[in-house]
Amino acid sequence: MPDEREDVLEITVLIEDVDAARLSEKATENATSNYSLNVSLAERDRSQDHLVLSFSLELTSQPAMARFKVSGSATLKGTKDEIKEGIAAPNDSRPPLVLLEIYERIYSTVYLLASALKVPRPMPNLLKKSS
Amino acid sequence: MIQETGTNLYSGILRFYSLNDVRKYMKELLEHYQRDYDRSSNVIGSLLRTEGGKGMEVIMSKGWAKVGAMFVDVTDPEKGGMELTFQLVTEMKPRISKTEEVLKTFESVEALPVPADASFLLYLHSGIPERLVIDTTESRPEAYVFKGDYATVQ
Repeated sequence: MPDEREDVLEITVLIEDVDAARLSEKATENATSNYSLNVSLAERDRSQDHLVLSFSLELTSQPAMARFKVSGSATLKGTKDEIKEGIAAPNDSRPPLVLLEIYERIYSTVYLLASALKVPRPMPNLLKKSS
Repeated sequence: MIQETGTNLYSGILRFYSLNDVRKYMKELLEHYQRDYDRSSNVIGSLLRTEGGKGMEVIMSKGWAKVGAMFVDVTDPEKGGMELTFQLVTEMKPRISKTEEVLKTFESVEALPVPADASFLLYLHSGIPERLVIDTTESRPEAYVFKGDYATVQ
């Protein structure tokens, strides 16, 4: 019921699909490798107090040693203004809050997969926009 | 504070972007009220069955006294609590009936000629959907899409 919630934006992330590939036989866990991240967010459903987004994240190491694709949904629950703030990028170099939450949520999965594939692990501290 | 039973009754205005969403919301509201009603009336029913044949006296406390502007029961907490539950159940009935009626007749609202990009303001008074504004001044926001390229750097 509307008056039972607290006035704080709540973001829940659900992973629906994961794909991981080792792209080079020379790859090792300790090799220095930066990852580029291609992100796509799209509205799936919206109502008075929530917004559901589909997300798709593709991480590719540079040089190419591994690739991870993760997709799923993120649900933002809050007031209209809180939701608006959650999906807006503060500026060109900083991602929207919802993306930070998604990355934080998927990071442990990607980390484990990178370990299993013996490829460099991406860093947790997203996100500097690539030039 | 711990809520023992009952429903927080919302008074306010909610915006929806389709009549289907309005219907869905009211349906969920009604289901919520019905669940609360069933839970509370089961408590009363169970007590009446246990106390077989004693009637309403098992839920009517004689311990009420007016203290200040409210009634306080200091001598018979069991019956006092049960009497409150009974009052709650009695008050739930008209709210459920009214919400049911709104939902049953909502087809006539859905049959109205509504502009495709309109939104809807639903006014709830103590949990009962009472009024609806078809708002042609604020349409549904454009579907959100975001694409970006980022990097993690060691």
